[in-house]
Amino acid sequence: MNGEYVVQTENLTKKYGEFTALDGLTIQLEKGKILGFIGPNGAGKTTTIKILVGMALPTAGWAKIAGIDCSTRSREIKKLVGFMPDTFGGYDNMRVHEYLDFFGAAFAIPRAKRQKRVDEALETTGATAMRDLFVESLSHGMKQRVAIARTLLHEPPVLILDEPANGLDPTARVEMRHILLNLAAMGKTLIVTSHILPELARICNMVAIITGGKLRAFGTLDQIMHDVREKRMIEVQLAAREDVAKAAATLTAVLGPQAQVQESLAEGMVRFTTTQNDAALVRMLAALVDAKIAVAQFRDVPQNLEDAFLSVTQAAQAPDKADGEKIAAGGGRA
Amino acid sequence: MNNPIIRRELVGVLRNWRTAAAEIIFTMTLIGVVLLRWPTNAQVSLSGRQSQEMLRLFGYAFMTAMILIVPAFSAVSMVREKQAGTLALILNTPLSPWSVFSGKVAAISGVIALLMGLSVPAAAACYAMGGVSLRVQIEPLYLLLALASLEYTVVGLYISTRSNRIDAALRSTYATVFALVALAVIPQEFAQGRLTGLPAQVCQWLAAFSPLPAILQVFGQSGVTHAGNMSAGSAVLRYVVVSIVVILWGTRATLQRLNSGLFDRPRSAGTITDESSGGVQAYRRVMYLWFFDPQRRSRLIGPLTNPVMVKEFRTSRFGRSHWMMRMIGACLIVSLALMLAAARGSEVVNTRTMGAILVILQSALIIIMTPGLAGGLIAGEIESGSWQLLRMTPLSARSIVLGKLLSVGRTLLLLLLATLPGYAVMLVIDPNEKTQVVEALVSLVIMAVFALLASAAISSFSRRAATATATAYGFLAVLCAGTLLAWLGRGSLFGFTLVDWILRLNPVAATLSAIHAPGFGHYGLIPLTWWIMAYGCGLAVVVLVLRTWRLTRPQ
Repeated sequence: MNGEYVVQTENLTKKYGEFTALDGLTIQLEKGKILGFIGPNGAGKTTTIKILVGMALPTAGWAKIAGIDCSTRSREIKKLVGFMPDTFGGYDNMRVHEYLDFFGAAFAIPRAKRQKRVDEALETTGATAMRDLFVESLSHGMKQRVAIARTLLHEPPVLILDEPANGLDPTARVEMRHILLNLAAMGKTLIVTSHILPELARICNMVAIITGGKLRAFGTLDQIMHDVREKRMIEVQLAAREDVAKAAATLTAVLGPQAQVQESLAEGMVRFTTTQNDAALVRMLAALVDAKIAVAQFRDVPQNLEDAFLSVTQAAQAPDKADGEKIAAGGGRA
Repeated sequence: MNNPIIRRELVGVLRNWRTAAAEIIFTMTLIGVVLLRWPTNAQVSLSGRQSQEMLRLFGYAFMTAMILIVPAFSAVSMVREKQAGTLALILNTPLSPWSVFSGKVAAISGVIALLMGLSVPAAAACYAMGGVSLRVQIEPLYLLLALASLEYTVVGLYISTRSNRIDAALRSTYATVFALVALAVIPQEFAQGRLTGLPAQVCQWLAAFSPLPAILQVFGQSGVTHAGNMSAGSAVLRYVVVSIVVILWGTRATLQRLNSGLFDRPRSAGTITDESSGGVQAYRRVMYLWFFDPQRRSRLIGPLTNPVMVKEFRTSRFGRSHWMMRMIGACLIVSLALMLAAARGSEVVNTRTMGAILVILQSALIIIMTPGLAGGLIAGEIESGSWQLLRMTPLSARSIVLGKLLSVGRTLLLLLLATLPGYAVMLVIDPNEKTQVVEALVSLVIMAVFALLASAAISSFSRRAATATATAYGFLAVLCAGTLLAWLGRGSLFGFTLVDWILRLNPVAATLSAIHAPGFGHYGLIPLTWWIMAYGCGLAVVVLVLRTWRLTRPQ
């Protein structure tokens, strides 16, 4: 263990017969970080998680948590990881405190400490009021809280949460976000999968985008945003509406005839997309100024994680891309 | 086929490979029964005795198959839809509750009709041998079995609407069907020749809940229910009347439940006695003797206790102490009632009859309870998704299996212990029966262990609790009831040696033999059956451990 990364995978590969579910995944994650692990259905997220929690063996490569190999020392991994699968896994006729007591006992938490741990876990997840309710009677949001409380019982340094915000109402989603941020503040390292990307973007320090079993992007959110987008959308707000056509013509002249330049007379705005860098943008702005066009604003329209995700997945599907090409920078290190 | 429920249900059932397997096994069994006893020496009894015996065997096999198959379809029908959420969707369509109910009944009846159609060649073979009446025997037999199937379909659907878990629905339905078929005739067995007037009438009508007296009458047998002593046609008529009443009642009760109220269940308030007022606490302490109060806040799992065992107790209805006490109380009452009957005069109940009834009761408890409790041990965890949570704990496969087995084992042990007073009375009345009682108890314990291990092993092969539970029920029913068909055909259809060999596989027969129950005293099944069961237990343990190990290790 290098003492720096809590979660490490190197060239992690999993094949089921001819089908490659995971292809050479390499990521590292530092302590206290929240990694948003995103990808379409069947991308390989669950396979990765299964390997990390010791439920599946990789065909090639390795995965370590806190320096412990997930394949060969899966028993130790269980103590290091709190895993919340996408299904609740509840039992009928069991109250919440009995449910947590059972898992506490299964993790061999001594009886003297167990009650305290159960109370703390319930408090951390805001589920104290549910302790006497039967688990089958809980709402989905309540179950998610109890499920997270369950993962905290044995005080693992790493939490792996599969779709924790799935199916939650807006209020519950906000509360879930606070719970996850609190856990990170407590020093836990979190790997969170979700399809609700705006939500994920608000809590994650790191993002990994995976499609077709391959890592397509990995890094901080800013890195991903900066590196992933192939086309930037620029908005030019003009001082005078009558300059819209002239501005569009000027930009087309600079960008070339294939450029997609949109005019909006009502807004007094011109929009265009480009793959060119900041230096090129400076030249475009200069051209507008040289053409005596009064520019009120010249700005890069911010993209969100959804845009980045779509960009990555579309790029991955593009026929001219090499199959294994990683689009984003970040180098698999964080 | 205008009712879309019929189309969906019937097509769904017929597409299932298990239905095809059940049909093939059913047909092959009936054909096998007939072929086994088909005359090979070109001689046919002019009296029709041989064909009559063959028809009886065919009829009993047919009835056993119906009892095994019908609940498997009807018990899961509603509860599975409830769990999948499709019942709510159906009830939100313009389809009336009657359409839903009749559609399901028609679909299950369609499968039963198919099975009956498949049985026709075997029945025709019996008829072809001569000496069997189509009008007096074969047609009434089919009518009675069709009526019984419809009755159990309706009862199963009703129980299914009341249940929230598939395994609970299966357990309750099989227990109800068993009570309707077998337990209902026991009072008449006592009453025959001993009670007169209203009590005798009550016993006769109670026995009419079972199709057995009617079928025996169709076959012209007296036997267990003394049907021969009844007036001609009375047993058949009584059964037809009673079963129609049950069908009508079940239909009305099911229709009343098929509305949105089915889902209108309040969330648990999570009431805890410890936090209630002093008066409530005092009341519940008295009523539940405190320890058995289900609303008492449970203590933390102890350091030397297997957490899986405690979890199983807490999640199983019959594992909860108050339910356990209710069941033990019921067993004690039955046992004490038998003790009272025995103490009032040995001419009413002799010790061997009492012993046989006790053995049948205990065997029934084991066969009904064990698959229901153990059938979902592994499959239920996999189905609910909690298996992967168990895999994420440091618990070993051995701890998981042991905890689960102990939880069911303790429940079974307590139930068996609750019926011990009956044996104590037997020994008081006749101390010479000590060896028989000890052998019977050993047989029962071995039967319980075997039933538990076999059900758990079957559970480890399935990903659905319902499939595992139904398979476990089927396996035990074939082993314990199916092999008794050979005993029913003893002397005439099957020779002593063959019956003796077949019964060695049957732990119930071994227990009845140990207690020298009427009809079983001549067979020397012990200790060979014990050894066979012990090997079976060993095999089940190996299978269970291997399967659990496979399920817990990384894929």
